[in-house]
Amino acid sequence: MKNKIPFLAGLALSVAALPAFAGEITVYTALEEDEVAAYLERAAADMPDVTVNVLRLSTGDLGARLIAEAGNPQADVVWGFAVTNMLNPGIYDQLEPYAAKGEEALNQQFRDKDGRWFAPTGYVGAFCVNTERLAQLGAPVPASWADLKNPAYKGEVVMPDPSSSGTGYLQIAAILQGAGEEAGWQLIRDIDPNMAQYTTSGSRPCRMAQAGEFAIGASLSYVAMQGIDEGYPIQMVIPSDYAGFELEANGLMKSTDNPEDAKRFLDWTLSAGAVEAYAARKDLVTIPGVPRSPQAEKAGLPEDLASVLFPMNFAASGETRDAIIAKWRETVGR
Amino acid sequence: MSKPVEKRIPRGLDQPIGERLFQHVVLLVPLAGLALFFLYPLAIVVWRSFQQRDGAVGVGNYREILALDHLWGVVSNSLVMSGLTALISVSLGLVIAYALNRTKMPLRWLVSLALILPLLAPSLVQALGLIFMFGRNGLVTYLTGIEMQIYGLPGLVIANSMYALPQAVMIMAVALRHADRRQYDAALVLGASPWRRFVDITLPALRFGILSAAFVCFTVTITDFGNAAVIGGNYRVLASEIYAQVVGQMNFNMGAVVGILLLIPTLLAFYLEKVAAQRGGTGEGAIPVEPDRWAPRDIPLWLAAHLTALFLIAIVAVVVFASFVQLWPYKMSLTLKNYNITTQGGYDPLWTSLYASLITAAFGTLMLFALVLAQRKMPRSSARLVYLLAIIPVGVPGLVLGLSYVLSFNVKPVFPGILYGSVLLIAFCNFYHYHSQGFLTMVTGIRNVPKQLEETVTTIGGGTWASLRDAIIPIMVPTLISVFFFLFMRGMVTLSAVIFLITPKLSVGAVSVMRLDQAGSSTQAAAFSVLIMLTVLVAMGLLRAILRLQEAFPKRGAWH
Repeated sequence: MKNKIPFLAGLALSVAALPAFAGEITVYTALEEDEVAAYLERAAADMPDVTVNVLRLSTGDLGARLIAEAGNPQADVVWGFAVTNMLNPGIYDQLEPYAAKGEEALNQQFRDKDGRWFAPTGYVGAFCVNTERLAQLGAPVPASWADLKNPAYKGEVVMPDPSSSGTGYLQIAAILQGAGEEAGWQLIRDIDPNMAQYTTSGSRPCRMAQAGEFAIGASLSYVAMQGIDEGYPIQMVIPSDYAGFELEANGLMKSTDNPEDAKRFLDWTLSAGAVEAYAARKDLVTIPGVPRSPQAEKAGLPEDLASVLFPMNFAASGETRDAIIAKWRETVGR
Repeated sequence: MSKPVEKRIPRGLDQPIGERLFQHVVLLVPLAGLALFFLYPLAIVVWRSFQQRDGAVGVGNYREILALDHLWGVVSNSLVMSGLTALISVSLGLVIAYALNRTKMPLRWLVSLALILPLLAPSLVQALGLIFMFGRNGLVTYLTGIEMQIYGLPGLVIANSMYALPQAVMIMAVALRHADRRQYDAALVLGASPWRRFVDITLPALRFGILSAAFVCFTVTITDFGNAAVIGGNYRVLASEIYAQVVGQMNFNMGAVVGILLLIPTLLAFYLEKVAAQRGGTGEGAIPVEPDRWAPRDIPLWLAAHLTALFLIAIVAVVVFASFVQLWPYKMSLTLKNYNITTQGGYDPLWTSLYASLITAAFGTLMLFALVLAQRKMPRSSARLVYLLAIIPVGVPGLVLGLSYVLSFNVKPVFPGILYGSVLLIAFCNFYHYHSQGFLTMVTGIRNVPKQLEETVTTIGGGTWASLRDAIIPIMVPTLISVFFFLFMRGMVTLSAVIFLITPKLSVGAVSVMRLDQAGSSTQAAAFSVLIMLTVLVAMGLLRAILRLQEAFPKRGAWH
């Protein structure tokens, strides 16, 4: 019995607060499950001596977790996390400037001027259009946000609520930055009568469209691509007028007790091996010269995606966030 | 009934040391648990709610939240939704609890089984089941051509009632299980009609149970966010406001403010405690009421109970069916591919859940039993404090509880920092999340143990141990089992708080369900949920079998 108690306690606490071993790092990410698996496989091949322990949560949950842990941070690296959230002072202040190898090849827009983050990849705002449901309605496939004003879509469009979803916010911000304040708010007002719901989560609109609950769900490119991959009758549309996008940023935590391996991992995210892994599945790669992935091609993404994207100003969109959300609530009144 | 006379077990020096020690242990251990795993995290949330954006400490955040234009609309939405849910769950729950305990209803086991389904299926999947069934592209729409409008208040009330109903039945069934047959016999002799007997004898005895159930149904649904997110549509509630503040806009302190505002309904507990203090119920040596037959009463009751059971089973059946479907609702051919779980950890999180939930259930049942034992022996004023403390956890939303655990336990000092990232912390978090429901069930149960009986055992020379063994435990066994299984089931499927406590190496089943859903495969999420449900059912079957085996051996001095 005497021996058993420490054993049981050890079992129960087995994962508690273990000191980081050399060659082992903890990475927090909001990348998709299947991406994480594919990238880690490649990383293990390229850096066999580093064990990468990954905690994967959705962007919002991960942000809350990072802020809550600020007193005693557990992660060494933040990987593939929405740059809008990365810029929140509660998280940004926890990052250590580090110039990863190859970072200089990235356009200014895709890295922090203080070197706290860089974003080799990203995703794009996209509509999931359920072609079967749309055919039943006898309505055309929309090509842009402006098309969503068509009364034929009444009660058939779903988009995320910008107050609770980063995706929703990125869509609204793209419209406002692209069309200008006045025309932007007018457009938001004009499509509101067709909106069946403003959902809490950013992927939910696409999930609803793929289940045939609604005809059009405004969501993200990778969510649409997952649905197409699963075999649902959906088509991905990148709105031709205001396609917002989000960057997936990487950064080093100040608190890391294994900076050497953490930096190696960050370097790896820009290495030839990583680029090969991105090219196989990613819709938006900011590293110059990476070809369009087969999935992106199948989903109908334009070959030169960067030319379609509106040049988003992330810093500005972060600063005005509270004001935009308040005004949005007033405008749609829900 | 005559005014209750406060009889106290003699205190002081004439009590053997062992007994005094026992009294202290049963009080102090559960209180220490509540202090460390509930009060301390809650205090941090309160502190955060006063930290303003400008760095100062004050009520600025409260002022800001209360000045929000849409706030009052959201508050009234929440009140309407939870009020309706409580009304439906308690009235339907009373009907079902009565039918189960006081009538000779056929297929009782089926109704009992149906009632645990909402407790053992993850709420995410239950909402999916409702959408598969009643959604705009669901089975009912498909079969009848009528397009249902499930999103919004109706769907939310249905989904939340499904969640609250089993908890209401658990509490009221415990209250119904013990009544004194002699009262009914006397009323019969006096010529009271069955309806009069119900109104004059059954209802008054149930008063505490009904109020407790209503309190639980109201508070658990006003704090619940999961159903609101999936099926609430544009019907905004306070719980979604917390999510928007914390997860959407990363305004921790504002989320904390809404969390504190959500504690207001728990103030109703003051009233509840007053009712609890009125010693009602059974006198010495109550004779259990035998279920009887009376068609005008039985037939409507049975119909209501069976239709409810049918509904609950149908929703879960749709989920089970969907878990074998290729691509709901477009390729309905059957397949096993959904059971090939490829997310992080595969099936491991399921076993972690099982392990953690057994700790939750065993530790929780023990703590709650100790607490009600201690509370029974305490003077009224301090008993009231314990009571309120035990009942407040129900008012804390899971999201707030989870984040408060991160803030409290992710600290550098070895204790309590060592708990962070451990299975134990997940188990404790789940227990304190459901502390109030377990506590109210226990209190309802122990009210049925006649004080006189306990005193008889004590005066004939038995100590506290003897009164526990011979008087209290035999009566409490069904209640203890109910609470144990309730905590076990909730531990297996609760997501909201736990999501902040998992680590790269430690995850639980409910998180896997969420991840599968997030990755776009609702059929795989359904499959994993089916496995969770099976695991719970098998574990419960085994535990019941063990209990039966023990019952087969004659017990010493059992009181019946």
